[in-house]
Amino acid sequence: MIEVTAGWYLSLAAVLFSIGLLGILVRRNALIMFMCVELMLNAVNLTFVAAGRALGNLEGQVAVFFVLVVAAAEVVVGLAIIVAIFRRRESASVDELATLRG
Amino acid sequence: MSQYFQEYITVGAFAAVGVLLVLAILGVASVIRPSNPTPAKKLTYECGVDPVGSGWSQTYVRYYIFGLLFVIFDVEAVFIFPWAIHAEALGIGGVIAIVLFMLTLVEGLVYAIKKGVLAWE
Amino acid sequence: MTFAQVLTPPSVGWIAIAPEIVLGVGAALILLFDVQYKPKRTHLGLATAAIVATAFAFAIVQYDRVQTLSQATADQAADFVATAFPFDAMIVLDANAVFGRFAMLLVTGLGLAAGWRLFERLGARAAEGLALMLLSATGFMFMASSTHLMMVFLGLEVGSIALYVLAGITRERTESDEAAIKYFLLGSVASAVFIYGVALTYAGSGSMNLLEIQGVLARNIFTRPAVLLIGIALMVVGMGFKVSAAPFHSWAPDVYQGAPGGIVGYMAAAAKIGGFAALIRILFTAFPDFISTWGPLVAGIAALSMLLGSTVALVQDDIRRMLGYSGVAHAGFILTGVVAGGAGTGEVWFYLGVYTVQLVGAFGVVAAVTGAATSGAGIDAFRGLSKRAPFLAATFTVLLLGMAGLPLTSGFVAKFGVFTEAWQAGYEWLVIVAVLASVIAFFFYLRVIVAMYMEEPVDEAVAPPGISVRASLALASLITIVIGIVPGPLLSLAGEASPL
Repeated sequence: MIEVTAGWYLSLAAVLFSIGLLGILVRRNALIMFMCVELMLNAVNLTFVAAGRALGNLEGQVAVFFVLVVAAAEVVVGLAIIVAIFRRRESASVDELATLRG
Repeated sequence: MSQYFQEYITVGAFAAVGVLLVLAILGVASVIRPSNPTPAKKLTYECGVDPVGSGWSQTYVRYYIFGLLFVIFDVEAVFIFPWAIHAEALGIGGVIAIVLFMLTLVEGLVYAIKKGVLAWE
Repeated sequence: MTFAQVLTPPSVGWIAIAPEIVLGVGAALILLFDVQYKPKRTHLGLATAAIVATAFAFAIVQYDRVQTLSQATADQAADFVATAFPFDAMIVLDANAVFGRFAMLLVTGLGLAAGWRLFERLGARAAEGLALMLLSATGFMFMASSTHLMMVFLGLEVGSIALYVLAGITRERTESDEAAIKYFLLGSVASAVFIYGVALTYAGSGSMNLLEIQGVLARNIFTRPAVLLIGIALMVVGMGFKVSAAPFHSWAPDVYQGAPGGIVGYMAAAAKIGGFAALIRILFTAFPDFISTWGPLVAGIAALSMLLGSTVALVQDDIRRMLGYSGVAHAGFILTGVVAGGAGTGEVWFYLGVYTVQLVGAFGVVAAVTGAATSGAGIDAFRGLSKRAPFLAATFTVLLLGMAGLPLTSGFVAKFGVFTEAWQAGYEWLVIVAVLASVIAFFFYLRVIVAMYMEEPVDEAVAPPGISVRASLALASLITIVIGIVPGPLLSLAGEASPL
């Protein structure tokens, strides 16, 4: 039987973080990109919890609270911006947001 | 087998009993009930009103601001629970800190109410 | 525990965060007063200015406290620790933090005056704009004064989230909300990258307190060196995003072009101060012994930023995009000072201070010429500006020459300082790249000046700027020239600003 050490959790978190980052790069829907950011933040949370347990101190778990709250604040602002855009353009694709370029 | 996985046997047993229970009740019901399907019975249930049009219609989400405010207040609560558990040990300093924290939240709520975002029309 | 003990609040070093408290409470009061009493916008603006001034006064008190602390003797050690590292050593009261506050509050005051026309246009939302401005300043000031990576992250987010909203505050315009969503998406990715770096640093060193990390690393007992190194790199990349260093700069020109003209100078300057303050704090306090590891990474980012920013700025026809790319180049110049390690702190702060003042001033001119609530500023609007608005043309010339780093302007002293530090640290190649980039950069600043003075004016008349705008532009130009001629006092002040 394989023992599940902290290294496994860190690796899983790294994979999740990379999936999130890849999603940002390849997806073109603002909402999906936004979900990818959330995935990245949750990978961070997993890293914090796993590291905190491996190190035997509570700081990592407390950090998760703060990351969660910051993520919620970002969600609110981000969704409000997306709704404001959607109301006028009837679309949430970032490809159509191309007024600013050069 | 390690102790860790043995503890999961209990979880597995509970899950199996749960599935069996549902299957048993539905099975008994299907044997003893009369079968008389009509088109009206197969309709999607929508509060007793007949469904009209496609299920994929767009709805007007005027309550999205309520949703956004809810997310904020819901998540901020995570700071109150750890404080509540250790309230006695943290003493007066903890009380002051949490009161300041809650006042900040109340300020946001008061601003939202005064701005009229919580009015339904 | 006696009754008296229960009633005595724990002694915390409130003075260490007094300016932040003033700004935060001030922002809350402005919002509440606005919805309750509907005051005039002029009064709101004056109240905001008073809040910034109060915070500045507290920063001066802090400066005095830091001076006293620096002369503390050995038997005052306990007192020193309690005053310098309050809140369980999450906050530090040192010259680095205080200088960060000076720069931040100066930029906030200038930005408020230069962008005042925008707040008048915002109507009922003026209070929101002012409060967001104060809150973002609070966040970025915390970035300069935290010794705990979680506090740095919280400061970063408080500042950044306020800026995302400010970018889209004129939401009736298509460009404004496009700038907001671009800034928001790329900014939140940068934050996620930064906090992942924090998590890995924590996993590798066992602490998030910068002083503790340094202690752990000095004793060489950390367990996962690879994880730690990736963590440092990711934190540098996250901050690189925030200060718009190449190759993480793609948001900057779009946001500078699309965000409302009156506020964009403040947005650009504030993000740069916050980002560099945190970068200095993290790299110099926690990882001074790792300079051979992060030095080349920072040097690479610096070289790429300078070359890419300068060359792409040459072909821009929009002044605000041009200033955006010039901001990328300036991020590179400042990073040139960062590679020198702790020795370069004073030069980096000096550069940051003078550049952000020029930036706010330059965007103030752009807003005065092309409108405070609009996006974009084609170079056509500036042709023959010297005949239509001589004051604006003159101040813009001074500020652009300052950015270009011409002798007798503050920009020259700043560039000279960071280049010297980098040269002494052994990065000769980087200094050569930097000088080359400065020469390229000079041409696009010159192009605007030529357009203003040598070309035929277009017929559009420029509305005369208000008194606050004129005052802030005059102040920014004056600072640029005076510091350029007498740099001594500011250099010595910035020289004290090394982190504890």
